[in-house]
Amino acid sequence: MPAAKITHSIRILFAVVVGVLLAGPLFYLVANSLMTASQTSDLTPQLIPHNFDLQFGNYTAALSGPTQVVFARSFINSGIFTFFVVLFQWALCVSGGLVIAKMRFRSRNVITALLGVSLFIPILTTLIPTFFVTLKLGIINTYPGLILPIVAQTGFGTLLFRQYISQMPEELFDAARIDGANWWTILRRLVIPLARPATGAYVAISVLTAWNMYLWPLVAAQSGKLEVLTQTLASLGNQTYGASSPQNIVYAAVVIVTLPMIIVFLAVQPAFVRGLTGSGVE
Amino acid sequence: MSEPSIANEIPGASVAPRGRRSARRDGRSALLMMGPNLAMFSVFIVIPIVAGIYLSFTTWDITNGAPKWVGLANYTKLLNDPIVGVAVGNTVKFMLFGVVPTVFIALGLAMLINVRFRFVGVVRSLYLIPAAMSFAASAIVWRYIFLDGPGYGVVNWVISQFGIPPPNWLVSTTYALPALDVIAIWLSLPVATILYLAALQRIPASVIEAATLDGAGPVRRVRYIIWPMVRPMTILVAIVALLSFTNGSFDLVNILTPTGGTNYSTTTLIFYIFQQAFAYGYYGYAAALAVLQIALIGGALAALRVFYLFGERRG
Repeated sequence: MPAAKITHSIRILFAVVVGVLLAGPLFYLVANSLMTASQTSDLTPQLIPHNFDLQFGNYTAALSGPTQVVFARSFINSGIFTFFVVLFQWALCVSGGLVIAKMRFRSRNVITALLGVSLFIPILTTLIPTFFVTLKLGIINTYPGLILPIVAQTGFGTLLFRQYISQMPEELFDAARIDGANWWTILRRLVIPLARPATGAYVAISVLTAWNMYLWPLVAAQSGKLEVLTQTLASLGNQTYGASSPQNIVYAAVVIVTLPMIIVFLAVQPAFVRGLTGSGVE
Repeated sequence: MSEPSIANEIPGASVAPRGRRSARRDGRSALLMMGPNLAMFSVFIVIPIVAGIYLSFTTWDITNGAPKWVGLANYTKLLNDPIVGVAVGNTVKFMLFGVVPTVFIALGLAMLINVRFRFVGVVRSLYLIPAAMSFAASAIVWRYIFLDGPGYGVVNWVISQFGIPPPNWLVSTTYALPALDVIAIWLSLPVATILYLAALQRIPASVIEAATLDGAGPVRRVRYIIWPMVRPMTILVAIVALLSFTNGSFDLVNILTPTGGTNYSTTTLIFYIFQQAFAYGYYGYAAALAVLQIALIGGALAALRVFYLFGERRG
């Protein structure tokens, strides 16, 4: 074998080993979620369930019965929160993107700059006043209060759509205008169908962000009725080892909560990468 | 033709508007169509920023309505509060020892997976998949792999095999903050790696080949070709990582060290703001601390900008 080929193989082997190490915590999580409680509390770290006797019962135990830690209610809340945040925000962003990309009006540059600056002011930094405004609107501890302040974070999405739409040929828009289409028709018939790749990228990124969001729900959903899954996990993460729930069940709970996003992520990975980088990778 | 990307959305790098077709014709439609977006943006972003500055000059008791004007009292308190200095120090440490390693490790990882072979897609997924995890979920996983109780976690077990008693990571004043940084780095690497991978693939192969023919070894190629050519991406990676570590500096601290660590050792500024407001009810004081936080983020971004310009002038 020529030296170059050997180097290449070693490099690939190294890449695989590093990849397995990076994903290691996830393998460890899944393996431990399928063990008996006594195996997870063994003093030597356990990487494989005994005799491959997989304890799927841990998952039922995490979802029901006296050891239940994941409640349907939080699952539904996370789903509602993610769905409406992404849907409303998408509607605002795609229309706003069209306005900034193709319409001519005076304050366009100011608006674009404002949206750009807002990318660097995450909700954490305006937490207290956002809470203040939401409280004054009387919607703290309601779904609108949970959802709307996050919907309002339109900076990233609007600029992403603006970028994509501004690349669409001017002639398309001129032709539509000559045919008598107004901007709403252009949005519905032309922009939304053509901007589907941008929508894919946007949805991929914002679904993950919303599902994994912790701080705002912690503040805006103080009643148990609105609890989302990150809050469920946080209360499990606060415990010392096996303090109030058996460890294998805690692991199963984490898998249950994380699995939907891992599936989503693997399915949309190309769109996610495109949204971040502006092009695919080869 | 480039596709949508936050890479193209750094303020100041925006595309110049094309020829002015008719400066006024679209004004009304634009207002109507952009209206909901701007209304939401104003109510929940612009107004809170202004309200935040106002609140910082008040005490606000959440139970009885209106904030009371107290002038500079909160800022005087801030200057005399010894924990503020600790919290700022922790935040800077957390950011610095998080963002800098993330940048270098991510570039290394991106170079490692910038090869073509049959199952490269599967292997890259291994690198990217932690991006699907929340800080909350990773806090749990890492806590038990790494942090909790001697012997139970992989890392502690390995350490104790060398006859060294592992530290009690989360309680320790020395190791708690670095431990949280390790978790945040692990979570920030996927996005940073994706960004660098894209940047690497934009470097023409001929450039690298020419350098190799001229006798540049791997180290010199990275130092003199790759690093300068990916510099614009380094800025973006640092910004994205900075924002991710800002989130992490609350989520991880609040979940893993809910009291802010032994002797405030993991109390970051964000956590301190949250604690002052929602645990103790000092909303006005928390708003003043938030003004400080925004100033710090602004400072960090300005520093990155200077680093970028400095690099440009040299390069």
